Amino acid sequence: MLRNRVKELRARYGFTQSELGKKVDVTRQTIAFIEKGEFSPSITLALKLAQALQVEVGDLFWLEEE
Amino acid sequence: MKQDFRMTYPLWNMAFILILAVMAVGFTSSFVNVTKTDSSLSIEAQAFEGFVLFAALIAYLVLITIYLIALGSYNRKNPQRKISAFSIRPPEYMEQDEGMTFITRKAVQKVYTFITWSLPFLAVIVMLAPVPKLLIIWGILAIAFGQNLIYYLEMRRQLKGATE
Repeated sequence: MLRNRVKELRARYGFTQSELGKKVDVTRQTIAFIEKGEFSPSITLALKLAQALQVEVGDLFWLEEE
Repeated sequence: MKQDFRMTYPLWNMAFILILAVMAVGFTSSFVNVTKTDSSLSIEAQAFEGFVLFAALIAYLVLITIYLIALGSYNRKNPQRKISAFSIRPPEYMEQDEGMTFITRKAVQKVYTFITWSLPFLAVIVMLAPVPKLLIIWGILAIAFGQNLIYYLEMRRQLKGATE
């Protein structure tokens, strides 16, 4: 299962879901789905999110064995 | 998102389907005689069935007028994401990015599963039982109503969960 730190890092930078969504060119809902782990983003979107939150992709997303 | 016309589009479909179901009562009644030629269509009906048919036709025209006004209003407010009234592709798909495409796909999968089972089920019933024409039409409309309901509820559930 894909885990992530999007919510935590977004809060650290003080972004709302809408603001982060605008930075990476997706809707607020898509950010919400990613944060909840309901949706695994594409590599492109994962890279954009990592860039916007100033971390490596591996530090933002990781696989957790079920 | 609540004001998004694409979200409420299945509700419009459901309303149109309900009116069609009432209209079918008039059209399938033995008291209604429909004569069609190359250039004209004449409908003769008895009092009650005629009233039902007439009322349903008026309701349909009223609803389609309201629908077109609402659609025009949405298009004026969303010039980048206009919806065509005559598009073959259903406008309720919300695919402006990969996350929205993902939830649209989930809703469509549920609808597809429903159609996969309900259409053959209806076909078997019609084959095995002497079902009147009206009930066959109602069966088809019930499936159409069901698919819109499933789609709407699934999209609403997904988007409700995406609160900030």
